[in-house]
Amino acid sequence: MVTDASTWIALAPVVVLAVTSFVLFLADSIKPGETNNALLAGLSLAGILGALAVSVWYFFTGVGRPEGLSLLADQVVVDGMSLFFTFVVASVAALVVLGSYDYLHDHPHKGEFYSLIVLATTGMALMANANSLVVAFVAIELSSLSSFALVASLKHNRGSIEAGLKYFLIGALSSAILVYGISLVYAVTGSLQLDAVAAGVAETDNIGILGIGVLMLVGGVAYKTASVPFHFWAPEAYEGAPAPVSAFLSSASKAAGFVIAFRVFIEGFPLETVVGLGIDWVLIFQVLAVVTMIVGNFAAAMQENVKRMLAYSSVGHAGYVLIGLAALGGGNDVAVMGAAMMHLLVYGFMNTGAFLFVALAEYRGVGRTFEDYNGLWHRAPIACAAMTVFLFSLAGLPIGGGFLSKYALFTAAIGAGYWWLAAVGALASALSLFYYSRLVKAILIEDPVREFDVSRQPVGLYVAIVAAAIMTIALLPAFPVVDLAQAAASTLLA
Amino acid sequence: MLAPTQLLVPVEWYLVLSAGVFCIGLFGVLTRRNALMFLISVELMLNAANINFVAFSLQWGNLTGQTFALFVMALAAAEVAIGIGIILVLYRNFRGIDVTEATTMRW
Repeated sequence: MVTDASTWIALAPVVVLAVTSFVLFLADSIKPGETNNALLAGLSLAGILGALAVSVWYFFTGVGRPEGLSLLADQVVVDGMSLFFTFVVASVAALVVLGSYDYLHDHPHKGEFYSLIVLATTGMALMANANSLVVAFVAIELSSLSSFALVASLKHNRGSIEAGLKYFLIGALSSAILVYGISLVYAVTGSLQLDAVAAGVAETDNIGILGIGVLMLVGGVAYKTASVPFHFWAPEAYEGAPAPVSAFLSSASKAAGFVIAFRVFIEGFPLETVVGLGIDWVLIFQVLAVVTMIVGNFAAAMQENVKRMLAYSSVGHAGYVLIGLAALGGGNDVAVMGAAMMHLLVYGFMNTGAFLFVALAEYRGVGRTFEDYNGLWHRAPIACAAMTVFLFSLAGLPIGGGFLSKYALFTAAIGAGYWWLAAVGALASALSLFYYSRLVKAILIEDPVREFDVSRQPVGLYVAIVAAAIMTIALLPAFPVVDLAQAAASTLLA
Repeated sequence: MLAPTQLLVPVEWYLVLSAGVFCIGLFGVLTRRNALMFLISVELMLNAANINFVAFSLQWGNLTGQTFALFVMALAAAEVAIGIGIILVLYRNFRGIDVTEATTMRW
């Protein structure tokens, strides 16, 4: 039986990922001179898909429901939400590895690249399971440190180095702020395990110190999810990084940051106690959600560079998902949280797909601006059809799951009494349609400007893009998945 | 387990000390242009958190804080390793480690 199995079996998805990353290091170090791209990509894909399969299996056999499994002295928990987010992170990682297979064909350090991808995935899966601030911090660092190296992995490309530097500097600063916030929470509550933190919060009278600590935790989460005010690394890092890494960071890293936010704030700082103390984190997230939606979408509308536009749109989408935290406490918590999780799932596929299309363009030597994308339809019709699906789904048109997840998010916010959050979200989406359709117009309607190299067929990239497109479209009719997301959310909110 | 102990210095002063160290680090982060100085400043901020962890570990009489301080040190070392690596490639590509020099992309 799975339900009463031991700790490590319950944590199998994380364990499989960790083992895979070490196997990759090992496989690469046997013959460091001659790297076998297919072998390494195959191993990573096998490990990631294994973790993915296990998380799906556990989810549907009801592991961790209705009560989450508390493991390792309550430091780690396996429940519906952790399995849901493990699935999201692993799906994105699988697509990214598929895309990297072609993208890396002349990269000298393939073994390290795949290994770091899987290590970062391990960190993100562990973030989904973290039930104490210690595990949360260690998992965040595991994913961040691997990501810094991945962003800067094109060692002779100035853009990649600059992106890595900026990502690292802001990452180091925000992790210092996060850990100082954790130390203040520890100072007030005497514990780092989330339930014990909640108990300590209920008894404390050091409200000022606790308030500063909570603010600093919000800062750490904002960095990881690329939300205002810690969003300004995102356009730089996503633009300079290798495109598959941008896909990985903007989708998986964001989802993992949000699961930390959901769990830490709901478990560790329950609204019913903290609002009485005057530490109303829902209010903070309301402000952040509105500002993030506005800043992300307006900045995206002004970009000429496709990757940078997608980067700002990813900031905007962080704003939509923040509604999941900002609309709590309105009596509609399960619907709000479930819709936010659903949006992260759909976003995982459509955004990864969009960045992988950019990876395909970079692979082909297409330029970076909107004009450079003119008429790609004539050269790569399948990929361009998929890109149209991604972009319209990101905008929220009923062509992919993005429509329904935004619809669910906004109706849930209205149901919770926060109609103005939904209004800002709808306006931001309307604006986003402008810049997404600008790119669609360039790809489908404009005339091609120049020829480019088509000597080598990037099969892996195509498979990844088409798979992401199929998932994006499939999530439209298969939308009852939102009930599963809500079931997963109800474990946390119970 | 530690017994809750009366600290020689009241615990509030440790909080003041750590806040001071944190602010010095933050000041360094905001003003220094040399990437290595930036790293050193971030280390100060991390160690400010460690002061809190160790002081309040004694205050609360549990070892959680002390243990986490060890974790933070290990992670800080890992972070520096990655950071030095990135600064090294920065130097190779831009012939310098001024963090404001690397501006091939516009903000």
